[in-house]
Amino acid sequence: MSKRFTLARRAVLTAALAVPFLAAAPAMAADPAEAFVAENIAKGMAIINSKTLTKVQRRDQFEQFLLGITDMKRIADFTLGRYRASASPADLAAFETAFQGFAVAKYQSYFNSYAGQTLKVTGSTQVAPTDYRVKTELVDPGDKSGKAPLEVIFRVRTDRGKPVVTDIAVADAFLAVAQQAEFLGFLGQNNGNIKLLIAHIGEVTASLNK
Amino acid sequence: MRGLGALLLGLGGLALAGCAGTASPEALAANDPLEPTNRQVFALNQQFDQIFFLPTVRRYRLLPEDARTGVHNFLRNLATPTIFVNDVLQAEPTRAGRAAARFVINSSLGIGGLFDPATRMGLAYQGEDFGQTLAVWGAGEGPFLMLPLLGPSNPRDTAGLAIDTFVLDPTNYVHFKQHFWWDAGRQYFTFLDLRSQTLETLQGIERSSVDYYAALRSFYRQVRDGEIRNGAAPKPEEVPDF
Repeated sequence: MSKRFTLARRAVLTAALAVPFLAAAPAMAADPAEAFVAENIAKGMAIINSKTLTKVQRRDQFEQFLLGITDMKRIADFTLGRYRASASPADLAAFETAFQGFAVAKYQSYFNSYAGQTLKVTGSTQVAPTDYRVKTELVDPGDKSGKAPLEVIFRVRTDRGKPVVTDIAVADAFLAVAQQAEFLGFLGQNNGNIKLLIAHIGEVTASLNK
Repeated sequence: MRGLGALLLGLGGLALAGCAGTASPEALAANDPLEPTNRQVFALNQQFDQIFFLPTVRRYRLLPEDARTGVHNFLRNLATPTIFVNDVLQAEPTRAGRAAARFVINSSLGIGGLFDPATRMGLAYQGEDFGQTLAVWGAGEGPFLMLPLLGPSNPRDTAGLAIDTFVLDPTNYVHFKQHFWWDAGRQYFTFLDLRSQTLETLQGIERSSVDYYAALRSFYRQVRDGEIRNGAAPKPEEVPDF
């Protein structure tokens, strides 16, 4: 029983620790992808740890920050899976808009719990000519247990010009992949009704923004 | 005896799974042909969690954090011999050595495992189980299963859990009169420890999920794959290209 729970809970734990923009430590940028991640983590840190921003200002700045380093349309389209091809242009546009608000709210709900932790670049792997995995470590300065830091991996793509983050993995679980599984699971349960998915995304987003 | 209930529940889940309805194409793509039944089991698990588990965990959390950390360390130390055996079975001598060293250090300097000086000495915890061993030996995962009370799994990991519990755990071979109560207490605190540690995390995930069941399924399978690879990067063809 213990192992089963350990595995299951650990799987879940990975998701909630997905807080890539908490704080940054100086990084040795060995390649452009590492430099890109290191630089932008620093920007994220400045927003999160700012003492002068109001809640609304922080949310707005975080949104701009997140949209600046990711290709949200690309991620949104991926998460829709095979339904993207059959979706009407209007539904697709509505979904992409809903997804953007949802993603920002979701990440914000996470980082609030982990503000103050440190994320530093530890290395990277180029798995394809335009596909990188930049490894970082999430460290809690207040943790005295001595446990190993949590590894957070940024997937950086450079195939469309400027580098963008397309996915993040915490303890080996990629979040966009999990998000796609969620959306497809929902659509599979609801006869592929994208409008219903968009409405539900809106409800969850509203709940997260409360 | 330890884990007997878990196994019976698992087998019950398998039996229920045999009554599954029709899975959607998405479920089949997610290796979940038993999704209709799995979702029903998940719904029951959620109800049981709300009615029984969560109130129990909230009471447990009234204990000081140091006490709960001691429980956590003690339970992990008890599991270390099983981890060691699985490391050996997977031909991982470095990890096996680490597990053995952790057990010796924490059982002695850590006062029976209540403390974890091994981690402070650079020997951080590394889990391993027979489900992973089976995977290393080439066994496929089989269809995704949502086991009653136990949560996400698959036939390979369920079998691994049974082997770990009944065969590899050395406490099975220590016979004494109150063994049943020892097992029951260990299971009880194992649950409390794990559920307590993940309380806020699970709540956060559920709150931000469009489909909580599908999210758990994906995270379970991804993390499980990562554990089997022991930190090695997945093959490029295993990662979606988008």
